[in-house]
Amino acid sequence: MVFRSIVRPLLRASKPQYLPARSPRCFSKSARLTESPSQPSNHERTTHFGFETVPEAEKEARVAGVFSNVAASYDTMNDFMSLGIHRLWKDHFVRSLNPGSSSSPNSPGWKMLDIAGGTGDIAFRLLDHATNINNSPSSTITISDINPAMLAEGKKRSLATSYANSPRLSFLVANAEELETIESNSIDLYTVAFGIRNFTNKEKALREAFRVLKPGGVFACLEFSGVTNPLFDAVYKRWSFSAIPLIGQLVAGDRASYQYLVESIEKFPKQEEFRDMIKDAGFMVPGKGWEDLTGGIAAIHKGVKPIEKP
Amino acid sequence: MATRTRLARLWPLSKPSALPLIRPYHSYDHPPPPGPFNPTESSILEAAIPHIPTHGFTHTTLSIGASDAGYIAASTNLFPNGAFSLVHYHLYTQRLALAKHQHIISPPPREGEKPIGIGGKVKALTWERLMGNKEIIHRWQEALALIAQPSHLPTAISELSSLSDEIWFLSGDTSVDTSWYTKRASLSAIYAATELFMTTDKSPNFDDTRDFLDRRFKDVQIVGGTMGSVTQWAGFTATAALNVLRSKGVRI
Repeated sequence: MVFRSIVRPLLRASKPQYLPARSPRCFSKSARLTESPSQPSNHERTTHFGFETVPEAEKEARVAGVFSNVAASYDTMNDFMSLGIHRLWKDHFVRSLNPGSSSSPNSPGWKMLDIAGGTGDIAFRLLDHATNINNSPSSTITISDINPAMLAEGKKRSLATSYANSPRLSFLVANAEELETIESNSIDLYTVAFGIRNFTNKEKALREAFRVLKPGGVFACLEFSGVTNPLFDAVYKRWSFSAIPLIGQLVAGDRASYQYLVESIEKFPKQEEFRDMIKDAGFMVPGKGWEDLTGGIAAIHKGVKPIEKP
Repeated sequence: MATRTRLARLWPLSKPSALPLIRPYHSYDHPPPPGPFNPTESSILEAAIPHIPTHGFTHTTLSIGASDAGYIAASTNLFPNGAFSLVHYHLYTQRLALAKHQHIISPPPREGEKPIGIGGKVKALTWERLMGNKEIIHRWQEALALIAQPSHLPTAISELSSLSDEIWFLSGDTSVDTSWYTKRASLSAIYAATELFMTTDKSPNFDDTRDFLDRRFKDVQIVGGTMGSVTQWAGFTATAALNVLRSKGVRI
């Protein structure tokens, strides 16, 4: 009984419907307004923000709000939510890409672009792999993020690595849908890990990725996806919808952002659908197009830009 | 009353997604299904094959192949299985190349000579397939190591079974009984063993491998003959025993 009386308030807190009206979910109020009978004018294009439908113009600002809130506790939270498995996923992702590999010893190295790479954990792994495994000290990476707060976190962390202030590492605040500062056909590897889910217009971002990549260059995306086993899916849904917002509340002091996180995972296109989106952008996909991680909780999608036939 | 009777389906309508990559039979009326590699992958792998004798079945060979085909090193991400794709491509292309040996499959009839039988054709084609490994045999142990990885084993085994099926088919085998299976199984075993022997063969023109292969075929003939005799004996004895029991009045 004692246990129950302790646990129940926690469980209750984990269910969204029990949230007090004055919860820190400041977004839901405006969302309710938009969903009210006086719908926004029909010609306004809408997209989804978690389970809410919001005008496209608004999503960017809201996502910015979420990530500004969580920037500092981002990695701690990832560890709690995924029980540390996200590190294995990221390691596997980088290893499977084999950055920096080359056919000749004096190749110019890879030019990489890590989109939505804010805190830099993918970028540092890519550089480490290129340097230590493939002996390619000339490979470079640009970390791009739309959110200056996340990028500042990455800059801070880069100081602890050997790439601090080196020309191999550069930072860029940019929207992945409009990468004007990056030349066409200039990138060997475009990565986006746990980021594309938050983009307002994914097709546009994919087309932009296609533009900046060299012919033969690789688009690689690590993202949450659909669990394939229904039994495991039920357990996973329980975990993500009850535990993750709760952990967010306890650890980061921000429930709303993590409620958004799990809702956006649920809304993101599943493996086949996203594979077809990559194909539609013009990429060739290797094999079946994706690789499931931990039963499909996350998936690695890849696409290779074809070369123009002479 | 526009209610239409609906026939119960035994299986759900499957999505017309991808064509099957393998077809477990040979057809004269339909074109062969597309192979396991798309044109881009084939062009990279084809360019990589000549580099195997120097660089082995490795990622480096793949990278060189990619740059020879006009791609960049990053494009090797097209091959989720990495260096094993080279092994698979080698197995696949060498298998298809067997059909080119028309002088074995349908030799021109010669005066006063007995035409070569199915068994002889099987032996000759198996030898031709082994000679397909001639250039890369000093690297083949690397390939065997890749083949032995659990995630690659199913592909390698199905390639082996396709190979023995191809050899029997090209030799003109038309069996439709259980020997269909035993023929293919025994040829697979012989081929795998001989290929392994060949990796350590240093004799000129692989003479030792040739002898090894001949001995294995003889073994199978002896085992096959013995098995046939044993089966015949067991069948006769069983029938005789049944008849003895019937003659004693047992109702069976």
